[in-house]
Amino acid sequence: MSEVLLHAEGIDKNFGITHAIDHITLDFYKGEIHALIGENGSGKSTFTSCLTGIYQKDSGTFTLNGRQINAHNQVDGNYQGVAIVVQELGTLSGLTVAENIFLGKEDEFTKHGVKNSRAMNAKAQELLNSYGFDYIKATDPIDKYNFEDRKLIEIVKATHFKPQVLVVDETTTALGEKGRKELFRVMHSIRDDGRCVIFISHDLEEVLEQADNISVLRDGELIDTVASKDVTADDLKKLMVGREMNGKYYRTDYGESVPDEVVLKGENLSVPGEFEGLNIELHKGEILGIGGLSECGMHEVGKALFGASFDRKGTVTLEDGTQINDITTAISHSIAYASKDRDNESLVLNDTIEDNICLPSLEDLKKNHILHAKDMRSFATKYAEQMSTKMEGVTQFVSALSGGNKQKVVLARWIGKDSDIVILDSPTRGIDVKVKADIYQMMDDMRRSGKSILMISEEIAELMGMADRILIMKDGRVNGEFRRNPDIKDTDLIARMV
Amino acid sequence: MAEKKKETNIPIYQKPWFTTAMPIIAFVFICVLFAILTQGRLFAGGNIKLLLSQSYMLLIASTGVFMVMSMGGLDFSQGSMLGVCSVVICFLSKYNIVLAVLGGVAAGGCIGFLNGWFNVKRKITSFIVTICMMYLFRGVVAYATTKSPVYGAADITKYNNIQFTLTYTVIILLVAFLIFQYTGLGSRLKAIGAGETAARYAGIRVDRTKILVYVAAGCITGLAAFINSVKVGSVTSTAGNQLETQIMIALVLGGMPVNGGAKVRFYNIILGVMTYKILTAGLVMLGISTQMQQLLLGIIFLVEVAIFSDRKTGMIVK
Repeated sequence: MSEVLLHAEGIDKNFGITHAIDHITLDFYKGEIHALIGENGSGKSTFTSCLTGIYQKDSGTFTLNGRQINAHNQVDGNYQGVAIVVQELGTLSGLTVAENIFLGKEDEFTKHGVKNSRAMNAKAQELLNSYGFDYIKATDPIDKYNFEDRKLIEIVKATHFKPQVLVVDETTTALGEKGRKELFRVMHSIRDDGRCVIFISHDLEEVLEQADNISVLRDGELIDTVASKDVTADDLKKLMVGREMNGKYYRTDYGESVPDEVVLKGENLSVPGEFEGLNIELHKGEILGIGGLSECGMHEVGKALFGASFDRKGTVTLEDGTQINDITTAISHSIAYASKDRDNESLVLNDTIEDNICLPSLEDLKKNHILHAKDMRSFATKYAEQMSTKMEGVTQFVSALSGGNKQKVVLARWIGKDSDIVILDSPTRGIDVKVKADIYQMMDDMRRSGKSILMISEEIAELMGMADRILIMKDGRVNGEFRRNPDIKDTDLIARMV
Repeated sequence: MAEKKKETNIPIYQKPWFTTAMPIIAFVFICVLFAILTQGRLFAGGNIKLLLSQSYMLLIASTGVFMVMSMGGLDFSQGSMLGVCSVVICFLSKYNIVLAVLGGVAAGGCIGFLNGWFNVKRKITSFIVTICMMYLFRGVVAYATTKSPVYGAADITKYNNIQFTLTYTVIILLVAFLIFQYTGLGSRLKAIGAGETAARYAGIRVDRTKILVYVAAGCITGLAAFINSVKVGSVTSTAGNQLETQIMIALVLGGMPVNGGAKVRFYNIILGVMTYKILTAGLVMLGISTQMQQLLLGIIFLVEVAIFSDRKTGMIVK
């Protein structure tokens, strides 16, 4: 392969508590179109935003042609040799076409503090003509043009100064046939010129067609880089969705029967924009898995059953007929819920481990209507230790714990509450192998003691390894059901998801 | 296990032991400073008594705001609320003194309910809601006292003796403390202050609790208004003016985080009010003009907040 043009080393970016990209190291070569793919929120846009100066990275370095670059904003990035065509509208209304093209670079046409608009307009028109967009007039206000033309103007804006690296972030969805052709033409000319295009797209066919190499991101981590001639769209899907088949820590039993007793029933459940017409039954002593792509609505199912969804329709009923419509009722009727959004929904981050464990059990901890501090302390200590949480003590703030230990605190809370129905959304997300094994063991123990678990997971191996029954969701509907069976293949599940 | 070590370069003024110790050090420092500057006059017998008698109203009123601030809210309507409650108390005291107290509590509770309702149901930040209420009810007080101050019963000031007022204050604080500490209310409020969404997911009825706390804060201000009424015997249009800022400065001086949350402690109220009162009394005794006092207090408040605000939770006022 040819020479490295851009080297990214350990790029890391956090948004508050969200780890958007996790130490990504990646090379881009001269004369290539390099695609970045991954699900929503996998960190593609964040990565390129850090490169082009839209965001500031937390750590890591970008080296372009052997020289370290550090863009503080987009214009700064342009001068250092990187440019971006963004996902949304990247031109400013109220300005002319020429003013948009040279936004932030007016100094190039300024002498003695006076801007030479005529020179700027002439230069802009010259550029537009050279791209073959001569029907666009540089002096027109940009609002005269439709979305597609504005994107073309943006392409001129981002490429006229011959940047070494051009990022095209999800632009094609906004373009029609003509616009795409123009865009690809510009991309190809950059590649043929020995420069590089970083291409972000959700359309896998298009990616395979245009890109030379493809890097897959998942949850802010670089999963793999592959050459497009070696892979199919299905391979890419698998990489995007993720599967780890080295699951020796899963359940090993097969063929155990599950009691018919239904402990939790959701009928005709809908949450607008998430899922529709869902009927679900959770049996006693069962682990029911729900899988799918992360946007398929399955994460909202857990919330809906816990009474936490806004605007939910349909009913959630317990065995004894109790209706669950709010969280407080759910908890007092022995339902537990561990959210995928651990840091916002499961845990009060800026509070102690003790308070976090005790919160749902405050009423149970009272003796003669009085809550004693020492009872809270011993309760929290008991369950935090039972989960072998790594901590300095229960008065430590949860915000100081690692992801795995945070999850242990969440589980300690519900084990302490002794809930019979446990809804776990992405229970092992961002958790290392050791803690994962502990969590699977705990789930198996709970199942054996007659508790019921609803596990929502984006990991196929986890679903196949742990669940008695798997529901696969797609676009807000159940699109397949599988019973526990050693012969199920991951491809069967994936076929139902995508 | 691949545990990532967090950067632990926390500046000293944000370390837990420092934020705990600082209000106490500040209290002692202010006591010693003014004792020296006033050559001990500040702590002469009579002055201590005076100091205490001036503290009761602030102590009681701060208790309600303390709960509101624990859950991350603010209450700027306290001053006007105290004014309205005092009008009600003075008016009713002509009939029956117990009725007067109940009336004051009810009036405060109603205003508190309005605060809570607009905050929770209409989803307006407490900052804006309570400033509106401050304005609105200041107008009500001004209207009620247009022609002349509202006078209380002739004998209402007989309650203005240290035995009664001290007992009254101690009982209120004690009850509030017991409820805060031993019913789980404190834990719930702190959780709401530290993370409202997570608190909801832990089964706390956030909306209900919030409204309840605003109502309680109103009722408590009604109780504080009784102390105000027995001390003055009447209400003028400026009754309770700037009480809200006094409360807030006092609580922050006592070590209360402006955003509430887990680091809130009940003793913040007492420590804060005492620090504030000694500070103002000391300044008065040194002959510093009212305008200058206000300027100094403003600076102290700003410095405190600037140093001790917990930026991790962000300045989110609910």
